[in-house]
Amino acid sequence: MRIPLRARAIEGKGVVAEVREAGAPRVARIKLPAIFAAFFRLGITSFGGGTAGWLYREIVERRHWIDDKEFLSGAALGRLMPGSGGVNLTVQVGHHLRGGPGALAAVFGLLSGPLAIVLALAVGYARIGQSAALDAVLDGVAAAAIGLTFATGLKLVQFKLASAGPLIVTLATTLCVGVLRWPMIPVVFGLAPISIGLALLNRRGRNV
Amino acid sequence: MSDDIRTLLALALVFAPLSLLSIGGGASLLAEIEHQSVTIHAWTTQREFADLFAISRAAPGPGTMLSTLIGWKVAGLAGALTATVALYLPSSLLVYGAARLWGRWRGSVWHTAVERGLAPIAAGLILSGGIAVLRVSPGGPAVWAAAVASTALILRWPGLHPLALFATGGVLFGLADATGLW
Repeated sequence: MRIPLRARAIEGKGVVAEVREAGAPRVARIKLPAIFAAFFRLGITSFGGGTAGWLYREIVERRHWIDDKEFLSGAALGRLMPGSGGVNLTVQVGHHLRGGPGALAAVFGLLSGPLAIVLALAVGYARIGQSAALDAVLDGVAAAAIGLTFATGLKLVQFKLASAGPLIVTLATTLCVGVLRWPMIPVVFGLAPISIGLALLNRRGRNV
Repeated sequence: MSDDIRTLLALALVFAPLSLLSIGGGASLLAEIEHQSVTIHAWTTQREFADLFAISRAAPGPGTMLSTLIGWKVAGLAGALTATVALYLPSSLLVYGAARLWGRWRGSVWHTAVERGLAPIAAGLILSGGIAVLRVSPGGPAVWAAAVASTALILRWPGLHPLALFATGGVLFGLADATGLW
């Protein structure tokens, strides 16, 4: 466990180290422009609605700003609360990294690019109109984007949840919501107590 | 009050409440946005609505940019910004509050159990999201096959940049269309 850089610096000056605020960064303070830039990149590249997949790749795998557990709980909460799951996850990650300003920088970064692009598309579309060739290209892009979403889900199943209980919960969720198209909210509220109960029971057996 | 301000206010009053009702993501709002935009306010015709929806799907980014486009259609840039903020601000503030509250319990037994318990559900929801998009995609079996291939490629070579894969998918499908393969 590393000591927060901020606390180290303060101790070095002979001042009592401040208690870290809940939700404040644990390792190093990531600068607001860096947060904005990372989420701007995420916004303009996340085609096909796979924001969670891109966020996992950029923020967890590449930059290590948050870990798997934080990502998954943010993704779950983000989907349960009203609003876009991707924006909600972004608010939580931004808040986790730098509090209120971090959340603001992340959301502005995420939305400003797509906003400009969608308006440019609307202007272009108004001039060109619909075309079968364009539709075909967009289908191809969409297919690859769906692949990214699947790969993210499978990676998390494969490496992080590789014991029977969580695996069954994942399968049940996918079956009910994805395949049978049951409404998400009752499914999640039905499965969450079971899954959380399992986690409590297994607490001693695992690293806590 | 001028007509411009009145229009912006109407946009905000339609989209801000929807923000808090959009449980399960933007797709759950589609029917209601259509009703408001076409029937109640006559901001767009049915045809224009369908076109704007197609454009919003083609653009990158999270959730629905459909509200942005309707705002733009009704009142230009000011309308686009008003509709976007109205749709995203209320839900974002709610999540922000929840994240602050949740952060206070970090490290407790319950916090850890809830995080760990929600993880497999989130993974299932991510997989379900992929299935849902696949289902509404108009491209048919070719898109299903390409999606499976793309999944396999990303899992096999994690370093592969998704954008390269997207471009490949777009080019392949474009070529197939141009040569009349289907």
